[in-house]
Amino acid sequence: MKRALLPAFLGVAVLAAIPFAIRNSFFLHVCILVLMWTVLGAAWNVLGGFAGQVSFGHAALFAVGAYTTIILYLKGGLAPWWGIPLGGLAAALVSLPIGFLCFRLRGPYFSLATLAVAEIIKLVALNWESLTAGSVGYLITSLPPVRLFGLNVNWESKTPFYAAAGALSVVALLATGWLRGSRLGAYLVAIRENEDAAEAVGIDTVRAKVVTLALSAFLAGMGGGFYAFYFRYVDPDAVAGIGLSMEMVFIAVVGGLGTVGGPLIGAVFLTAVAEAVRGRFQTGHLIFYGLFMMLVIRFMPEGIWGRVRRLTARAAAGA
Amino acid sequence: MALLEVQGLTRHFGGVSAVSDLSFSVNEGEIVGLIGPNGSGKTTVFNLVTGFLRPLSGAIRLDGQSVVGMRPHAVARRGIARTFQIVQPFPGLSALENVTLAAFLRHPARRDAEAAAALVLGRVGLGDRKKEIASRLTLMDQKRLEVAKALATRPRLLLLDEPMGGLNATEVDDASDLVRQIRASGVTVVLVEHVMKAIMRISDRVVVMNQGEKIAEGRPERVVEEPAVLAAYFGKHVA
Amino acid sequence: METLAQSLVSGVLTGALYAMIGIGLTVVFGVMRIINLAHGEMVMLGMFGAYWGQRLWRLDPFVSLLVWAPLMFVFGALLYRFLLRKIIPGGELNSLLYTAGLSLLVANLALFAWTGDYRTIALSYGVTPVRPFGIAIAIPLAVAFVLAILITLALGLFLSRTDLGRAIRATSQNSEAAVLMGIDVERVAIVTFGLGTALAGAAGVLLAPSLYLYPTVGELLIVKCFVVVVLGGLGSVPGAIAGGILLGVAESLGAVYVSGAYKDGIGFVLFLAVLLYRPSGLFGAGK
Repeated sequence: MKRALLPAFLGVAVLAAIPFAIRNSFFLHVCILVLMWTVLGAAWNVLGGFAGQVSFGHAALFAVGAYTTIILYLKGGLAPWWGIPLGGLAAALVSLPIGFLCFRLRGPYFSLATLAVAEIIKLVALNWESLTAGSVGYLITSLPPVRLFGLNVNWESKTPFYAAAGALSVVALLATGWLRGSRLGAYLVAIRENEDAAEAVGIDTVRAKVVTLALSAFLAGMGGGFYAFYFRYVDPDAVAGIGLSMEMVFIAVVGGLGTVGGPLIGAVFLTAVAEAVRGRFQTGHLIFYGLFMMLVIRFMPEGIWGRVRRLTARAAAGA
Repeated sequence: MALLEVQGLTRHFGGVSAVSDLSFSVNEGEIVGLIGPNGSGKTTVFNLVTGFLRPLSGAIRLDGQSVVGMRPHAVARRGIARTFQIVQPFPGLSALENVTLAAFLRHPARRDAEAAAALVLGRVGLGDRKKEIASRLTLMDQKRLEVAKALATRPRLLLLDEPMGGLNATEVDDASDLVRQIRASGVTVVLVEHVMKAIMRISDRVVVMNQGEKIAEGRPERVVEEPAVLAAYFGKHVA
Repeated sequence: METLAQSLVSGVLTGALYAMIGIGLTVVFGVMRIINLAHGEMVMLGMFGAYWGQRLWRLDPFVSLLVWAPLMFVFGALLYRFLLRKIIPGGELNSLLYTAGLSLLVANLALFAWTGDYRTIALSYGVTPVRPFGIAIAIPLAVAFVLAILITLALGLFLSRTDLGRAIRATSQNSEAAVLMGIDVERVAIVTFGLGTALAGAAGVLLAPSLYLYPTVGELLIVKCFVVVVLGGLGSVPGAIAGGILLGVAESLGAVYVSGAYKDGIGFVLFLAVLLYRPSGLFGAGK
């Protein structure tokens, strides 16, 4: 953990400096996307990379966070900076019965179950109109006036959103780093390697998985809350679709399963591809996501960051 | 009071009685052998006692307290540890990491757990192979690792499921010595085994099962001469 | 009473097609132990094959089956031989993720090529339903049903009477023993994957006149397909048939008696229920 401290400080410093160095609004927007996807990728990675439980339904948790935040603001007047953590909390709570249901299953059966649960939640979002406004969705037309350090926050500028996204990413990466070094993290490795043996040596595998899912859901939910805050529009197609679930998987896998930095690398890669392709194909970036997913699994299953770490470890050992 | 009491234990699979009204007890400090022909239900008994399976009926008590219905990790916490017939390591991790995970049960802090794990590895004879990846160890060493993992949970009772399977004569002797050392350190042992030489040498008592039921019990030399036991292994016309 | 009979009949007809899709997936799982997440896209390709066949060459969809089924077989065989074969040794998780990527790729290539507009196939004989015993049955669906039965019967004969079919069943039951018995397991795998893909494509062709067609329909179909195979037990062909019919009927009855909007959800709930209470399937082929 100590060795990671210096690059971490540098990283945060660079992060903080960017909006002052580069004023281009579009560039900041892209950075915000990268940061948001980092949070989502890290959320998925906690469950999929560390615990080895592949979920195809994480969009549902994202959606719970998004709806919670936007509903609390539009109907309850609660400002989004309170709504976002509450969105995370709501997602974590929802994840408890989901985990209770799905963790009885292992491997591909678990993955399929998460798919089914996510589709059910999307159906509920579409049809429970009194709560979610159905396919019409919710729209934020104006954000509350706020004074920070004596200045009015300018919601027209990207900077406040960038700051929020940055803060959330730091939280997500710190949480992942903590998990990796903790006893729970070690338990998750054990569960991934041999679940029966883990039970036999006294590891409460169900509790480990449920706690991990709750952490993963909290991060995904906060990502959803941020989405509501930044994009200001939430409807079932935007936040509960399976495409979103797959993008989260993609970031974590391509970046590097079970690593801390992987989601960031995956997010940078994903956003770069999406932007490069945006002019020519509209949602065509998904074509490349699928293609890269296949390429990574075939040639680099440990992900980009996983491969980099393996190469540097080998170089360090050789030198 | 016996350390382990099993009474009226019953478990079916589909239409077959895997274990039927089984009762026996194990006293603290004993090494008890559980023998019987293939398919007599011995591993099922282990699975029932350690919580991997639920009994249809019957009682299982450790130190007078029931462990029926508890999940395996809770049973381990109570003090019953087991090894598996086919070794179940954490294959991609080192021997030390394997045992440390088990040691966490009694030593929440990583450094303490690692230290305890190193000690246990030394006791089973793997001290110099701590950093080896589990899947690359020899069979004998994997079996030692299996025992080390169980011992690291500081059990009162250790259930060994066919530990000698696949070992040559020297290795069987080494394994038998290890079992005796484990008992000497204060752990009660129940061992399922087919290697008769080992059972005869190290068991204080033997329980014989056939088709899910107990058919004999007592000192090893006497039990193997009982007609019911001979019939179970060799068929009815031998005695 | 009429509504009940009507729902049951619709349910069985649609169910047979679901069954066919499920058989394709389950047969692949039985032999290779992988769950092909791109299976829904194979159905979609069949659907669009039928559509373009009619649009471009005025081919009746049911006739175009003769073209598309063999083509899909070859496509599946090539997919396995050149893409999937190297992935399978990496474990079931890797295979799952790989086929998920493939699914994304194929669906979005189709979306790019054909846009997301809903399309339909208009058949002259599709307009007026026949009414045996007062129950309305759309002719295209009826034809699809009959063809699906015939194809399934043919498949059954293939699996039980031919050497290759028996080799497939043997490998499905015990791949190690199959190798020892001299079965060319690689050849079995290629043929099985081709077969599974052909079945999916054929089901797509048969369903095309009866549904709205759009490139991302695979998303919905794959989940229904899982319901079918899990209901019947992964790896079991008779199970898939039963599971398919069960799902078709449950959806049909559910749409009428519970709620039209949540119709698709019935399958998901059923799926979860089976996964939790009888994970080896209602007919227990084992996992």
